[in-house]
Amino acid sequence: MELCSKEAVKYVWEGAIPLQIHLHESEVTTLPPPPPILVLGSRIGYLPLLVPLIKPHFSSTLPPGTDTVWFDYKGLPLKWYIPTGVLFDLLCAEPERPWNLTVHFRGHPGDVLTPCEGEDSVKWSYINSLKEAAYIINGNCKNVMNMSQADQLELWQSLVKGNMDGYLRISSRLKLGPLGEDCIVRSASSSAQPRQAIGEPDFTGSGRPCRIPVRLYVRNISEDLDDLEDAVPIDNWDRISYINRPVEIHKEEGHLSFKCAMKTLLPKIFFEEPLVDDHEFLREGETVGADSSYGDSETIGGSWNAQAEEIPFAGQPQVQLLKKSKIKMIRIQGIELDMDIPFFWVVNNLKNPEYFLHICVFIGTSTDQSTFR
Amino acid sequence: MAAESPISDRKVVVHLRATGDAPILKQTKFKIAGNDNFCKVIEFLRRQLRRDTLFVYVNSAFSPNPDELVIDLYNIFALWSLYTCDKLVVNYASSMAWG
Repeated sequence: MELCSKEAVKYVWEGAIPLQIHLHESEVTTLPPPPPILVLGSRIGYLPLLVPLIKPHFSSTLPPGTDTVWFDYKGLPLKWYIPTGVLFDLLCAEPERPWNLTVHFRGHPGDVLTPCEGEDSVKWSYINSLKEAAYIINGNCKNVMNMSQADQLELWQSLVKGNMDGYLRISSRLKLGPLGEDCIVRSASSSAQPRQAIGEPDFTGSGRPCRIPVRLYVRNISEDLDDLEDAVPIDNWDRISYINRPVEIHKEEGHLSFKCAMKTLLPKIFFEEPLVDDHEFLREGETVGADSSYGDSETIGGSWNAQAEEIPFAGQPQVQLLKKSKIKMIRIQGIELDMDIPFFWVVNNLKNPEYFLHICVFIGTSTDQSTFR
Repeated sequence: MAAESPISDRKVVVHLRATGDAPILKQTKFKIAGNDNFCKVIEFLRRQLRRDTLFVYVNSAFSPNPDELVIDLYNIFALWSLYTCDKLVVNYASSMAWG
């Protein structure tokens, strides 16, 4: 299977969520109230980018004042820097089509949500995420910082307009992918080396593990849930565990499946047969917190394991955890993935334009309130 | 302190460095709980410097989302850098430094 498929990337770029946007009733000053507007929100785009389409529809009914636009879904203010597709995959356990959102132009909840001041805020957030991803992959983000202003602008515009070819053309100069199974970044041609100083820390192909930028969103739903439609809607972002942790892969591992990669991210939660091999989990437990020297990727994961363990389980931590939680579903770009897919295929084809792979994990727990960290 | 406390209480050492003409703090190294969001660092700086307009970066490179947990940033960016070793270097400026 070829590791990077233009056809797959095209599907991702063309993916969109049908949205039905209602103006919040407190901001309606005309009778009859305006009907909701139907808009297609690109999966890889961001909600504030839709404001130029939405605002004209409602502008005649808005009360006077200055606008700070924000959206909510069932009362939950939406974080505008999370791609639209990810928000949909995460918050709609059962996909709702069209997705009913409420737009507000006033009354921004500053304590819950950082304000978005238009397209520039979103662009800033995008470029910063891109730098962060470059840093994770290369150990530095010089390639992004060395981009000309014109290139940066063109890259951003191609995302806004959904222009995949334009985007691929410019982003290929960053040499951040596609990743081969040997963890080396493959370039389309044997052109000049990236403009990184020799002697700078370079994590690709040097024997160090390669790192894949991942943003993980973990949501708990009731274990006994048969129908996802009945999942309790999220009313607070604290109910979702957001984990920004790269997947570290050692070169020798080679054919890494998606399941194996998920195990490195969520080792305590991820398993298939409950309680089959207690010994394996106890061994894992023994390495937890043992040696906190860095440079040891296992311990970085280990320290995170211990954190997860600290939360509410007493007595026999690992065994109780096994009984209580189970992966219900994993969604990336709206797809429920087959766990045996090669991880590198997933990364190369399903990542977002800022080079992060956004993974939504639904975990069935017997207590709805617990969160995992 | 970090060695004895349970992992969930682990504190991260943050080194705050001024960039450009931003005022320099008297004390530049602080400990913050790993479980705190990056926005706590931003708010702390805003209070200390009495400024609302601040651009805050990690490793002179980029601005993380305020939602990011400090421990995640530390694990990714402090431990892996050969230059910063065991602390998270946070730079702040009054105007955009790395745009």
